Amino acid sequence: MADREIGSRTGREGAEDLLRELAPQVLGVLMRRYGGLDSCEDAVQQALLDAATQWPASGLPDNPRGWLLTVATRRLTDMLRSESARRRREDAVYLATPPVALAGPEEEQDDGRDDTLTLLFLCCHPALTPSSQVALTLRAVGGLTTGEIAKAFGVSEATMAQRISRAKQQIRDAGARFTPPEPAEREPRLRAVQQVLYLVFNEGYAATAGQQLQRADLAAEGVRLARLLHALLADDAETAGLLALLLLTDARREARTAPGGVLVPLAEQDRGRWDRRLIAEGTALLERTLATARALGPYQIQAAIAAVHDEAPSVAETDWAEILALYHLLEAVSPGPMVSLGRAVATAMVHGPAAGLAATDDLAGTLGKHHRFHAVRGHLHEMTGDRIAAAAEYRTAAGYATNVPERRYLERKLAALASDYPGQSLQHNVSSLET
Amino acid sequence: MKYMLIIYGNQELWDSVEPAEQQAMFAAFDEFNKKHYETGELLGAYGVADAAATKLVRLADGQPAVTDGPYLETKEYLASWYLIDVDSEQRALEIAAALPSAVHQPTEVWPILHEASRETGVDIGVV
Repeated sequence: MADREIGSRTGREGAEDLLRELAPQVLGVLMRRYGGLDSCEDAVQQALLDAATQWPASGLPDNPRGWLLTVATRRLTDMLRSESARRRREDAVYLATPPVALAGPEEEQDDGRDDTLTLLFLCCHPALTPSSQVALTLRAVGGLTTGEIAKAFGVSEATMAQRISRAKQQIRDAGARFTPPEPAEREPRLRAVQQVLYLVFNEGYAATAGQQLQRADLAAEGVRLARLLHALLADDAETAGLLALLLLTDARREARTAPGGVLVPLAEQDRGRWDRRLIAEGTALLERTLATARALGPYQIQAAIAAVHDEAPSVAETDWAEILALYHLLEAVSPGPMVSLGRAVATAMVHGPAAGLAATDDLAGTLGKHHRFHAVRGHLHEMTGDRIAAAAEYRTAAGYATNVPERRYLERKLAALASDYPGQSLQHNVSSLET
Repeated sequence: MKYMLIIYGNQELWDSVEPAEQQAMFAAFDEFNKKHYETGELLGAYGVADAAATKLVRLADGQPAVTDGPYLETKEYLASWYLIDVDSEQRALEIAAALPSAVHQPTEVWPILHEASRETGVDIGVV
């Protein structure tokens, strides 16, 4: 996969892409041979650093993967053996050995695919919390530096280093080895990997304000890793569904934020700014998958919903009946209050806002303190023409919002409602929100 | 998600605690801090000086005027705060309950909404 593209890569950016593509493959080989995620991972990071400083001057080596493997192995040896004379001897041996010979015969046909997959499974080990799984995956499989990950999550590098080293420790304590999961374990572990890639994407996609640049990198990284997983497991329908969902959602990213970090909801987005290339790719992938899938999983259904939106020229021309049917399907295979909330919106678009509001009533118990629940009810009240009730819901929603763009969007909705009724009590509530 | 945990101090209550128990409490706080720094969840732990050491700064005709104060009328005032970054609200509440002070005093758990970027100063929000 990497070798085919080397010719087209130029400059620093091309080399960085290539390095990050090769990082999990090299780490996988090292893990299989020597074990110990901690030291192998450090060795690969050092080798990546060596490559990043040496390649721009010396040019790409003929066999970049073999080069990295050789240097990483040498770095690992450096760490594992403290006896300096011995280290010097071994350095000489390594330096004198051509990378292809070092890589050994098995690696010549082996493109590292299974190793990368095993590495993903290891990083998403059930002993870890979701945020640790995300951090470790970004570092070990994504090849991001600890500093880059820390920046994306708004914590100091020292804190992120703690989290990553603790995650490695927990994997060690859990007795995990560098082997593929048992057949019975494989399905739930794969779900965990998919969930982690979804989280990586969502970290970048959900928070668009101010942080746009660094966060956008995470969305792109989520898509890149989903592409990687799909390339490894082309026959897995849910992996294809996940990639399609991310592509079809990412297509709308540009149109989703207005200047000043205000969230632009689907209904108000300039659809001319949607990325047609991503939509075409996601739709084609989804169609191929749905044609052969035996049972539809939640990612495929969510991708299908995203595709219906992406293909519609406007909100009014959206096939809401199709979306409602898909939500019913999604509720059956993957029930949850947020899914039911989505279904309520679709119900409102097909059967009218009163029916939509009625469909949200049962959710007050579980989602009563979630801003999205109140934002949806605000929209539905607005559709019925009840502006007072709508304002009350938007105000409640703004109070529960823990994300700045979403909060700004809700405050703007509230202000727009109030300006239609100047002098009424709504105005007072808006100004109290502003302070 | 980031949260601020706030503990209010009460000098009278603290003075009534036996010195040996005070020392045990300090040790328990050290232990708490170490443990949560190690998980990467604790971003910072701070405690303020006695209220008597506090100053008030006001602008008078554009010039800063410094006075003693504030003169608090309550027995309890801000004593310590912790900045944490955790996976869920549930986890934030667990950590609050694990504070050694929790046996004596309640802890306020505030979700953080705004945070300024180190590079640009712009509000980056908090996820």
